[in-house]
Amino acid sequence: MIGKRIPRIDGPAKATGSAKYTTDIYFPDMLVAKMLRSPLPHAKILNIDISKAKRVPGVKAIITGKDAWDIKHGFVETPRYPADQYCLANDRVRYIGEEVACVAAVDEDTALEAIDAIHVDYEELPAVFDIFEAIKPDAPDIHEFRLPDLTEPYKNVGGRCANSYGDVEQAFKEAYLIREDRFESQLRTHCYLEPQATVAYYDINGKLNVWTSSMGVFRKRMHLSKTLSLPSNRIRIHKTYVGGAFGGKIDLFSHEFCTSLISIKTGKPVKYVAERDEIFSYFRHGQPMVIDLKTAVAKDGTILGQKVRCYNSCGAYRGSGVVCIFLCWGFLIIPYRIPNLDYIGYSIYTNNPVRAPQRGHGAPQMRFAVESQMDIIAEELGMDPIEIRLKNARRKGEILPNGDTVKNAGLIECIEEAVKKIDFKNKWAKNIEDRKNDNKKRIRRGIGLGISGYFTGTLIYPNNSAAIIKFNDDGTVKCHTGALDIGQGAETIITQIIAEELSLDVGDIELISGDTDTTPVDIGSWISGLTYVTGNAVKKAAIDAKNQLLTSAAKILDVDKSHLEIKDKKIFIKENPDKSVTFAQAIARHIRDYKGDPIIGKGFFRGLKDAEHGPSLKNAKGAWSDSYAFDAQIAEVEVDMLTGKIRVIKALTAHDCGFPINPLLVECQIDGQVSMAAGQALSEEVIMKNGITLNPSFLEYKLPLAVEMIENDYIDIITEEYKKDHHFITKEVGEGYVSAILAAIANAVYNASGFRAKKLPITLKPDLKFLTT
Amino acid sequence: MKKKQKERLIKLNINNKEYSVLVEDRDTLLEVLRDKLMLTGTKDACGMGECGACTVLLNGKPVLSCIILALEARGKKINTIEGLTEEGTLTDLQKAFIEYGAIQCGYCTPGMLMSATALLNTKIEPTRDEIKKAIEGNICRCTGYNKIIDAIEAVRDRRVKDKNDR
Repeated sequence: MIGKRIPRIDGPAKATGSAKYTTDIYFPDMLVAKMLRSPLPHAKILNIDISKAKRVPGVKAIITGKDAWDIKHGFVETPRYPADQYCLANDRVRYIGEEVACVAAVDEDTALEAIDAIHVDYEELPAVFDIFEAIKPDAPDIHEFRLPDLTEPYKNVGGRCANSYGDVEQAFKEAYLIREDRFESQLRTHCYLEPQATVAYYDINGKLNVWTSSMGVFRKRMHLSKTLSLPSNRIRIHKTYVGGAFGGKIDLFSHEFCTSLISIKTGKPVKYVAERDEIFSYFRHGQPMVIDLKTAVAKDGTILGQKVRCYNSCGAYRGSGVVCIFLCWGFLIIPYRIPNLDYIGYSIYTNNPVRAPQRGHGAPQMRFAVESQMDIIAEELGMDPIEIRLKNARRKGEILPNGDTVKNAGLIECIEEAVKKIDFKNKWAKNIEDRKNDNKKRIRRGIGLGISGYFTGTLIYPNNSAAIIKFNDDGTVKCHTGALDIGQGAETIITQIIAEELSLDVGDIELISGDTDTTPVDIGSWISGLTYVTGNAVKKAAIDAKNQLLTSAAKILDVDKSHLEIKDKKIFIKENPDKSVTFAQAIARHIRDYKGDPIIGKGFFRGLKDAEHGPSLKNAKGAWSDSYAFDAQIAEVEVDMLTGKIRVIKALTAHDCGFPINPLLVECQIDGQVSMAAGQALSEEVIMKNGITLNPSFLEYKLPLAVEMIENDYIDIITEEYKKDHHFITKEVGEGYVSAILAAIANAVYNASGFRAKKLPITLKPDLKFLTT
Repeated sequence: MKKKQKERLIKLNINNKEYSVLVEDRDTLLEVLRDKLMLTGTKDACGMGECGACTVLLNGKPVLSCIILALEARGKKINTIEGLTEEGTLTDLQKAFIEYGAIQCGYCTPGMLMSATALLNTKIEPTRDEIKKAIEGNICRCTGYNKIIDAIEAVRDRRVKDKNDR
């Protein structure tokens, strides 16, 4: 079962329209919730008058910040970075679209009428939208918060992550070449197809039932428990199918809190579905980033040292900004040896909507910068882009600056295999030759490469996963797992692991999943940890169940357990395969011998088993990950020099994910990431002016369509193996392949056109010089 | 779920079944399918005719049910994702979508399948480019479209082969 291209187990439900998403949850007397949002980017709330709105017939409840107690929440809640956002604005709004009040009514029109009837008195405050304006001494204060250890004269710093080692000054003194560039990544967004949606129903037993489009039910329960001051056992997050997330559905959102609180107040089910333009304008996007990258190299291309400054805009609240600047450090130090480093990342408050993780969370920004500069340096040194990378790339067993080891890193193999398969060097040289020989040629080809590395799960709430496996009388099983399949195929992977350990067919296994009441805790579909953390928990549960089964089988067959083997729901004696018992017989015996115990296997897992917590967000110290994934990606582009139109024609991904449990699902992950990266490289951008989003729709945002499909090729570099009865090491595949390909596209554009992009999306100016008759 | 206005009783033929349903003039076909008839297989993702998640067939042609009125669908044959399966058997396209990995989160899948169904019903041997064009209006963020196009091509090839073998 492991290593097979098993089609996803939720395929039939999704292909027939019977899969129920949060948006598909309806109750007979369900109320509709709508949000009143701030029209101003920064203001004091002087008064909210809801008296007129309350009188609109059909309005059942209106809540404002006053109803929401004095409880703040945050993506990160640590002593250094305390929670900084209310579920509903309390005395102040800090971005256009911030939630000020929530209305629930019998229908949408009534709710909107009431929203219009709410009168808010604001006192407008000066606002700032640009990060470099926001850090100036005369910028308005967005928060009272001051980082105690901030020595720079900067305002509005929501977070700072600094990590230095070695002697950077000396490295720059010794350098043969120093290269300093600024790279800018745009504001982009997830474009999950299912809108943000929540249904909350506080039932007669005092239980808050919640269906919400999320990335992990236990994290949502934790946030709701805290903000609603309700004990966990009185909140149940139900499983729903999730129509895409890509990082954008992990935070707590105002509507989740508001629908819950209104349901508690009214006793009625309440539903909120965000409009698409609300999502584009007011919800959490990815993180725009400015990176100043200064690199010292020796004559042979060896990196001697780097000085790096990252500036991200976390928006009006901290969101995941402080995590992003830690991760940027991480994605800098994984793939190449950097013997001397001076790194500081700043997360800066601005009066913009809050930022969240988006697939890669800092990696696309950092790899775009580093891999672009790597090509620049190689050219200046007269080296080719492969040579310089092989010289600096991490090899097996190397130790990262934080003390983690890259173990069986397959990065070198990724680069070598990818380059060989696509004939990189010849194509690359030929494109340059063509460019020189015919500088009037309008349609040009380019090829480029990038590399990247990624962590695999780390410690952040809920940190761990557990699983329970129960045998039915007939030997089929039921597995309880908190895993939530957001489209990546979590349920399929879990099923494969159980099938492998217990020698069952996929059809013999049923999952009860993603429900805080009926399943044990799960880390969730984020921080790239599900297959590794939940997968190992499930595996341990299966082994536990198998051991119990074998104990009883051994009694029936009168041999030691070690002589037994299982296959086709039967247990055999290895040396004498004619002697066997069925699972059903062994289970019956177990029930008889162990006072009714029907065999229930239990498993649990947590990464970084010796660490108390994840790495420090302040100085990046501490263990981060048990295993690191690597990849090399190559893009081939076609550039129309007249129009500036760039098309990605082909992409090749050579990746070390340890081993693919399901190669089909791994390919699916690569396809989606290559497409998302091409969107970031060439067209996507949320365009904002003074806190207002100017292109709040799919087509204006310009995400890739089917006609822009990129032909993909894949190379699996196998560096780990799956052994029955043992803990396994997989490496992440869900977000690590969105970065190197982004840089590869930028490098390919340069190879074709001679234009070096330092700003995303890549904008090649039309050039009439190429107009031919 | 809108404020009640004047309603009228109309008949809609959905998946070869007659439905009598009270609608307002302003109700979109999508609202009637989802909110009134609980046919929630058809998805609402943008509400403004940009993403294709709400695609249904009207007299065999793919339409965006979020931007046509229910009244316009009177007297026409409406096909939704719920009607593709016959007696619990998946169509060749549905099976291929599963087999080839064309489904991830699944939210675009119903609309995508309706567009693909219409294409292969009207054109026997579309090229890869014609397939791309036919699903250009169906946004998918998960798959990069690769495996969706592969799945449709596979069904095309199988159908052509079956026809030639006959």
